[in-house]
Amino acid sequence: MNTFALEIWYDEGRVCTFYTVRYVSDHDMESETDKFFEKYSSTDFQFRESALELLHLITESIGNRYGAIDDFFDRNKNKAQALPPKPKPWIDEIKILGNNFPLRLYCYKISKQIVVLFNGGIKSATTDQLSPDLSFKFNEAQRFAKLISENIADGMFQISDDERYLESFDGKKEIII
Amino acid sequence: MRSKTVDRLLKEIPKEVKIYVDLYADLVVRINQILKEKGISKKELAEMLDKQPSEISKWLGGDHNFTLKSISKLSAELNENLLMVTPSNRHFSFVEVEDIRSVQTFVVYQHKQKPTKGHETKLVKFQEKIQELTDVG
Repeated sequence: MNTFALEIWYDEGRVCTFYTVRYVSDHDMESETDKFFEKYSSTDFQFRESALELLHLITESIGNRYGAIDDFFDRNKNKAQALPPKPKPWIDEIKILGNNFPLRLYCYKISKQIVVLFNGGIKSATTDQLSPDLSFKFNEAQRFAKLISENIADGMFQISDDERYLESFDGKKEIII
Repeated sequence: MRSKTVDRLLKEIPKEVKIYVDLYADLVVRINQILKEKGISKKELAEMLDKQPSEISKWLGGDHNFTLKSISKLSAELNENLLMVTPSNRHFSFVEVEDIRSVQTFVVYQHKQKPTKGHETKLVKFQEKIQELTDVG
């Protein structure tokens, strides 16, 4: 697997910082999460509104208001998670944003204040692995999540004193895995 | 803000999408909060709601907008308010700080008692005082 960097993607919310991953070995300038939103929120794409709903859920609801609480991170995908959260069938709006929501964005919740976002795609089958647009990104998310959790466990990087950022064991902000 | 993609796309989110997602998030958090506070599992909640199968089947049909009914039913079962609408005798205004939307409510009290003689006397005196002040200089 190629080397990747953990980079801050959005940290302007009051309660949660979002990181993303960017491959560095092939000099890829675009992060995986930027690739997701650039693709699925393009004006001619049928699921643009869904992508924008997801963006607002991440930046405002999670980033600025509630943090990465379990209510939003209940869609576990082995080692990783996926957004949006599972449907809540007793409320119509939540049922729609869950069951019928066409997109999945993989992520890894490190704490209530720190989440790493990966890439994602269209959920078109009963499982992510059977969805042509998701299967590769599902496996990729598993590898990202595994490496991040292992590096944290090994002490290669840690959470900053203010609990909002990641830093390498020697205090540097640049994190390459 | 670190990603230019986020910076650009945040400006493109329609206002109704922001309101919808905010409402969605608030409901998810509030319902889970109530379930935890009352020690009710989601299974127990489903069983509580299953007391009226015809109503539940309508909800799960999905083709109709039963949002208010479903929220009302849930509010009744949990004995908690989930949504509040400001009554007509109140004045409210939407306050926007950047992209955060909230409703600010305030009450206007109207004094409906007819003015008494005492009030009229006071008003005359007050006007006299103003007149005195305007004559100064």
